[in-house]
Amino acid sequence: MTRPTPKEIKAMADVAGVPVSAEVAKRIANSIGPAFEGFAPIAGTLPFDLEPAGFLLVQQAGEASK
Amino acid sequence: MSTEPALLSLTEAAKAIAQKRFSSRETTQSCLDRIAQWQPRLNAFMAIETEAALAGADAADAALARGNAHGALHGVPLAHKDMYYETGKVVTCGSRIRRDFVATVTSTALQRLKDAGAIRLGSLQMAEFAYGPTGHNSHYGAVHNPWNVDHITGGSSSGSGSAVAARLTFAALGSDTGGSIRMPAHFCGVTGLKTTSGRISRAGAMPLSQSLDTVGPLARSAEDCALLLGLMAGADPQDPTAVTGPVPDYTAATRGGIKGLRIGVPTAFYVDDLDPEVARILEATIVVLKNEGANIVQVELPDQRQLAAACQLVLAVEAAAFHKRWLIERPQDYGPQVLMRLQNGLAIPGVSYLEAMRWRGPALAAHNAAVAGVDAVIAPVAPVAAPTIAESDVGNSLEAEAVIQRLTRFTRPINYLGLPSLALPTGFTHGGLPVAMQLIGCSFDEAMLLRIGAAFQRATDFHARVPKSA
Repeated sequence: MTRPTPKEIKAMADVAGVPVSAEVAKRIANSIGPAFEGFAPIAGTLPFDLEPAGFLLVQQAGEASK
Repeated sequence: MSTEPALLSLTEAAKAIAQKRFSSRETTQSCLDRIAQWQPRLNAFMAIETEAALAGADAADAALARGNAHGALHGVPLAHKDMYYETGKVVTCGSRIRRDFVATVTSTALQRLKDAGAIRLGSLQMAEFAYGPTGHNSHYGAVHNPWNVDHITGGSSSGSGSAVAARLTFAALGSDTGGSIRMPAHFCGVTGLKTTSGRISRAGAMPLSQSLDTVGPLARSAEDCALLLGLMAGADPQDPTAVTGPVPDYTAATRGGIKGLRIGVPTAFYVDDLDPEVARILEATIVVLKNEGANIVQVELPDQRQLAAACQLVLAVEAAAFHKRWLIERPQDYGPQVLMRLQNGLAIPGVSYLEAMRWRGPALAAHNAAVAGVDAVIAPVAPVAAPTIAESDVGNSLEAEAVIQRLTRFTRPINYLGLPSLALPTGFTHGGLPVAMQLIGCSFDEAMLLRIGAAFQRATDFHARVPKSA
């Protein structure tokens, strides 16, 4: 997982239907880049049988123990 | 007990009205007098509804005279962050886009407070669409910190923090998606409770991020937060994400001591790169907890930077999705910083977003394992006390997101994990600015946090100090 470049961001924003200028794409890349880098150790490591609702199972296990 | 009703705590004011030591009108007028005195310098209120508030107070007094008290907040005047819908009221969400939006429903949290007898003073300022941690608002102006009006309040519940600190309202609803209750509680010296995801219904509350948004109170004490939480928590058919289990007696929890409880202090991240004054106050807070009988233990938490990053990915995407229509149709109506932050969400691939969502379960499980046997973790809310409004006015500059992320680095991991956290005033800097610590608990164990917080507040007076007007 690598931080997207301004050029990639411009293309993604176009596809999303919210076009941005080159200057805005550069600013977005600067803003969001650290989040990509922070999450990089996790990205691509998650097991197959894991879905977002697993969070609720862990959370509710905590509730049940109260 | 104070002779100025507005200086009472919420719990005291509710009792004073119920016992007819003060009328609701006297209490409401006292708040209105303070609002008139402070509002020009704080900009904490979005709307002040003087006549309606006094009419509501008179109705409450008349009902009480007939023996018809509505509930635990009978006749108590409150104001809330301007993102809680109330039928027929303009709810701006701190934005130009919703400047004239009139709600057609009433939020569940607000309705439950009304059902308990609360009356409405008006609405409180906030960051535009609750997307900003400082208290700046390019449409309605910055909200000012009552401890020093040159300094920020924190956000996004900026008006809530400022108004509760200045004793303009007994308490206020805030919302916390990345720190928006705890940051203003920290900077303004009030008590703020970020609830567990699912603890309080979000129906009728403006959304920012459906996975991270939480409703909670800012108030003058843990006891007051307990009262409000007890009234608002519980199942709601309008919000299927609200949990359906029984609601604990939070007020009873505040009466417990903390002797023998185990309170964890993180070995890293939350203790790194702290301003020396924040570090000093953390140490002093630990001493108080020890003196009250708590066992302080070190805890080694999983990498919090990864949690903060995951939180940012989730929040950016969900916020951009909520706002997409307006990003297309009305981009010029956003403030520059909020527009910039909403646009960030466009740059995150769907796969990355879903990875961040899928990791929440394992991340929470790892956290739970790290804190097994610990009743709560104590950590700073932010690494610094309130910066000035001028120095933190970063707008949409290239460094803006980095400044925001640094400021909220101790709060975002908790939102990602969906955990409850109670921010408590725990000291003041030498310059007179408040500093808070957060008690982080296990999922749905707000009662433990309120118990520890109340015990701390019985042993200290930081929460009871009132900023002086000039």
